[in-house]
Formats: sequence, structure tokens, C-alpha cells
Amino acid sequence: MYMYYEAQWSLYVLTVITVVIFLVGVYANVYLIRRGKARSLTYKFNPGAMLKALIVNVIFQSKLLKQSSLRWFMHISIFWGFMGLLAHTTFLAYYSHFVSPDSASAQFFFTPHSAGRLFLDFWGDFWGTLLLIGCSIAIYRRYVSKVQQLDTVLADTLAIFLLFSVTATGFFCEAVRFLPLPPSPDFNYSFLGYGLTKILRLMPQSTIKYLKYTEQVRNHLILGIFLILYIPFSKMWHIFVSPIEVLLDGSEEHARRMAYER
Amino acid sequence: MDPKNMRGEWHMSDNETHETKVEEMEAKVENNEARIIKIDNLSPRQIMELDVCTRCGECSVWCPVYDQDKRETVNPRGRARWFKKIIKSQYGLFRPGTVWGKMLRRKPVTEEEIKAFTNDLYECSTCRQCYVACPVQIDTVELWESMRRSIVDSGYGPLEQQKALAISVKSYDNPWQQPRSSRSRWTKLALKDKKVAKEPKDITKTKAEVLYYVGCTASYDVNVKEVAISDAHILERANVDYGILGPKEKCCGSVLLRVGDHEYERIAEENIKMFNDLGIKTLITSCAGCYKTIKQDYAKVGKLNFEVKHMVEFLLDLIREGKLQFKKELKMKVTYHDPCHLGRHSGVYDAPREILRAIPGIELVEMERSRENSRCCGAGGGLKAGFPDIQNQMAQTRVKEAEAVGASAIVSACPFCYQGLQIGIQALNLPLKMMDITEIVTMALDEAEKA
Repeated sequence: MYMYYEAQWSLYVLTVITVVIFLVGVYANVYLIRRGKARSLTYKFNPGAMLKALIVNVIFQSKLLKQSSLRWFMHISIFWGFMGLLAHTTFLAYYSHFVSPDSASAQFFFTPHSAGRLFLDFWGDFWGTLLLIGCSIAIYRRYVSKVQQLDTVLADTLAIFLLFSVTATGFFCEAVRFLPLPPSPDFNYSFLGYGLTKILRLMPQSTIKYLKYTEQVRNHLILGIFLILYIPFSKMWHIFVSPIEVLLDGSEEHARRMAYER
Repeated sequence: MDPKNMRGEWHMSDNETHETKVEEMEAKVENNEARIIKIDNLSPRQIMELDVCTRCGECSVWCPVYDQDKRETVNPRGRARWFKKIIKSQYGLFRPGTVWGKMLRRKPVTEEEIKAFTNDLYECSTCRQCYVACPVQIDTVELWESMRRSIVDSGYGPLEQQKALAISVKSYDNPWQQPRSSRSRWTKLALKDKKVAKEPKDITKTKAEVLYYVGCTASYDVNVKEVAISDAHILERANVDYGILGPKEKCCGSVLLRVGDHEYERIAEENIKMFNDLGIKTLITSCAGCYKTIKQDYAKVGKLNFEVKHMVEFLLDLIREGKLQFKKELKMKVTYHDPCHLGRHSGVYDAPREILRAIPGIELVEMERSRENSRCCGAGGGLKAGFPDIQNQMAQTRVKEAEAVGASAIVSACPFCYQGLQIGIQALNLPLKMMDITEIVTMALDEAEKA
């Protein structure tokens, strides 16, 4: 078992339904986009300018940094946290289904106490923590300090709630998984999950016994599925389209500037 | 049943007459159902941009119109969201009338909603501040202008107040309802005031390397004619081989382009042909709006066989070549207002500042908002015609910024800004002087001559 949770048939059914609804959402968006008939670009593609835009304004989001270091940290934490966890989950799912457990790479990443396994544990907690911090700042700005420039609608609340709760329940699952296990220095690599375990252990045993790992995972997965379903129907769709716009604009703006400098 | 009608679209089939289309549209209006907004003018990228907006609100922090009229639907974020709602309800996969639309209980957008949207769409000076602010680089002004074309095509725009400008451009080749024959009257004034030794030559009769494209505002507005006169004065002093089109000059069409009128394309095509046939090397203009339109927007309509320069770029070249020299001090504390079409739209920030710094005695102070964050005076984008009160407030806010830095004059490089800011100065009754940069240069040259 590569993942800490053995997938059941119901998960596969849910996954198929999720993918179908997700794709319908994507199709609905593309369907609308294709109604536009005018030319999208005035100038020729400039791969160099697009690469620069990718590095400067997608990977490092430097324009946002110039505007506000807090907002930059918040967004980059959510962005990279989400990407890091997506990569983590994809990696685990890929190995679970397509790689032989006897292969050298599977042995490296999934043998208990191996460096690969500890790296994966750290990787998951690191990006998850970052995502949680980013979401917490977003919640603070939107609902506590009520920053004037924000205009909160239900869709914003739902997006933040799903992101935060999926990440938080992920850590909770991890904490519950550690509960019955004897302490090990390996657990320190899962620093936030294991830290949460230590807190849970302060609770009375009568309460702890109700915390079932499989139930926690089920809750986490259901929320995760809602999150994925919601992406194409919500502002989270910008995860896909904003980088495209940044790259296209990078190319166009470069060409425009060149026209003026000539 | 025609599947096109099921979708509620206004594509005419071959046997469908214009009359039936009009009747159907009228029936829709009677039912308070909105006409279909044609989105062919928008590119796939522009429709995608409606989803690109993360509604972070950075645009609302900087938008000079939202600063005056704090309505969510006026700021760029709100506008994008509203337009998305409209086109989703008319073109979306889950639009009302479809099986999914019925299941999701989607309601069609109403006539009132589109009219309100139209009003808010035009409450924008197309200053491009939102593009500068947008962290995801949405090409906002292009998007607003495409939306405006869609709104015009669907019969909702432009606003009544803006229609007069458009009709005037079509009838008189200028937005100020002035006869073509009086377009070059300023040359007579220049001659009378001895600002020029001889009238600028008619470039259609006598060839010249440089065409000075005056623009409608500097040609006709009595209060702004000084811009054209100063330009001619400077060009003559620097012995530039230039000419003007005189009564044959036509509006560049910027006004029509900004409000979404397709007639712009015809004007642009005619102007491109006329300019290209002149055999000029350079076209210069003092108007930031004309400059942006000819240099940037005409390039999308046709090819230009000459270089386009704003007067400030041309003047800077003349100064660097030593053809213009300032020897006498001009003791003034001035601030420079970046016109939106010259600054944010065209990236020309340094040339005017270098000119001002080249004049001895001039103290240049920057306002709180300058260069790419320069606060728009509200004169452009059809805003002044559509919402004069908002423009007045915007101009007042800008003028107060100039007053706060202790400047005795606001200098700009656009007759439209000149007009717009003058309104603010008059409303506040301030001792500030509104000046075009060419007026300052002329003063400095005259001082040098006296010296």
C-alpha cells in the first residue's frame, strides 16, 4: 500500500462522477469562450516574452509583490501550496495504480523509514502548511479585517471554505493516523500532522476512540471531490485561465512596446 | 422550428427579412426580455478574460471613476462580472430556456439590466489604470471597447449624450459640430499674433517631410487653439519642413472607437490612405488621443508607411539635435500631468519630463500620482460627454493634487486633458494655470530670443 488509505470501489465511482462533472464545467466555459469571433492577438506570438511573463508574473507573481507583500505572500502560499499538494497527490495516485511495488523507485519512495518516504511526508506537510497559512490570511482579510477593496459574495466564501477545509481535514487525517502509533523520529517529517497528534493526545481516551482514520479520510475525500467539482464553476477557474492571460499579455505588451520603441 | 430561434439568437437566415428581425426584437422589448448582445466583436481571449478576473479589487483602489462614484458596477471588477452574467444568460451552456437552464432555474437577463449595464459601461474614461493595477494583466481597455461595440451593435449604445459626438464626426469630420472650412482658422490667428512668419503649407499641394496632424480639439476649441499655434511656432523656429492638411484634415476617429461605433473603421481606412498617399516621413501630433489612435489602433486596420510621433518625442529630438535651445531662465514651478493615451497606453513618460528639465529655471514637481499611476482627468473615453459631472469631479481631484505640491501650472501634452483639467481649475477657482507643454517651450524660446 503506497498511500495510507486503501481506495475502495466507491472512491473510484466518485472519482469518475467528479471527472465527468468537472469536464462538463470545463466544456461550458470553453463553449462560451468559443463564441468570441474576433482575433485574440494583434501581434505574433513571442515565446521569449511569454517565458519571461511565466517566470515573472506566474511563478513569482512579482506584480502582486509590488502592490502588497501580504497579498503576495497570501496568494503565492495558496498557489504554490495547492500546486505542491496536487503534485503530491498525483504522484501517490500514479504510483498506487501504475508502478510495480518492486520497482527501485517505488522501493525508494515507499519503504518505511526510507529517505524517499520521509521526503514525501515532509513535502505534503510543507505545501499543506503553506496552503493553510495562505487560506488563513485570506479568511482574516475577508472576514476579520474586512479589507475595503474586497467584495465578498457567496462564491468567494465557498471557495475559501473548500480550500481551507480540504487542507485542514487532510492534516486531521494525518493526525488521527499517528494516534495509535508509538512515537518515531520519522513522524517529525510530518511536522504539522504529528504536532496535531500531540494535541489530540491531550484529549480523554473516551473521545479519541471515536476518531476513526477511515472516517476522517472519507470526510477529507468528499470535501476534496467538492473542491474539484467546484473549480470550473467558480472563480477558482482562474487557476487555469489566469496564467494563459498573463502569457498572452506578456507577448502582446512586449510587441506593443517594441512598436513604440522603433 | 428554427434551432437558431430556440437559442434566442439574432442570426438572420437567408429568407429572413430585416423587418421580421426588427419585429421580433420589438416583441422581445415589449416582453421586457433583453435583445441579444452580439459578442462576435469579442475575441475568445476577451471572453476568457471575464473568468480571469479574480475579483481581488486592486482595480477599485486605483479606478478614478470609481473613486467618484462608489458603485460596484462601475468599477472594472463589477463590470466584468456583470457582463459575464449577461452573456452567460444569453449564450451559456446552461442559459435559460435550455434543459439545464430550466433545471437550474436560470432567469433571462432583462431589458432594464442591460440598459443599466450600458450606462455603467460608458461610465469609464478608458484610462487604462485598471490594466496597470490588474495582477493578472487583463487587457481591460480593449475589453471595454469590444464590449461597447457589442452594445452598440445590439442597439443599446452609445448613450444619448454621446450620440451627438458620433453624428458630428460623421457629418463634419470633427466631434465639435464645426464646419470643415474653419478647421485651419487657428493659422490666421497665429499669423495675426505674429507667432508664425508664414502660414503652414498645405501638404496636399506642397510636399513636406513632416505632417503636423493638429487634431479636432486644438483646431476648433477657442481655449485650446494656443496648442496648435505653439506647435506651428516651434516647428517654424526649428526650420522643420512640415505641412498641415488644413480643411482636408479629418477626425482620427478616436471618439467613435472609444464609444464602440463601427464607423471608426471607415474613418481609419480613409485617413490611412490619405496619410500614406502624402509620401511623408513622419506624422506628428500634439494630441495624445490622436497619437494613440493613429499609432496603435490604425495599425490594426491598415499599414502605415511613415513614422508616428507625439510632439513631445519630436521636440525632444529637436532639442537633442540642438535645433531648439533655451538660454534664458523661465522661473516656474510646474507639475506634469501624464495624459492616459500618451502614458499608460503608449508608455511615453520620460520625453515630456526631459523637455521640461531642459528648460532653465523650470522646477518640475511630481504629483502624488504620476507616470503609470497618473490620475485621469476624465476627459476621454466618451466620459466627459456622457457624464460631465463625474468628469468635473475627477478633474477637481486631479487639480487638487497639483495644488498640493505647490505648482503654479499644470503642464500636459494633450488638448483633451487641457480641456478637462481646465474644467477642474475653473470649478475650484484656483490660481493654477493650465498649460500645454508646447506653450512652455514657446515661452522658453521667446525668452531666449529676448535674451
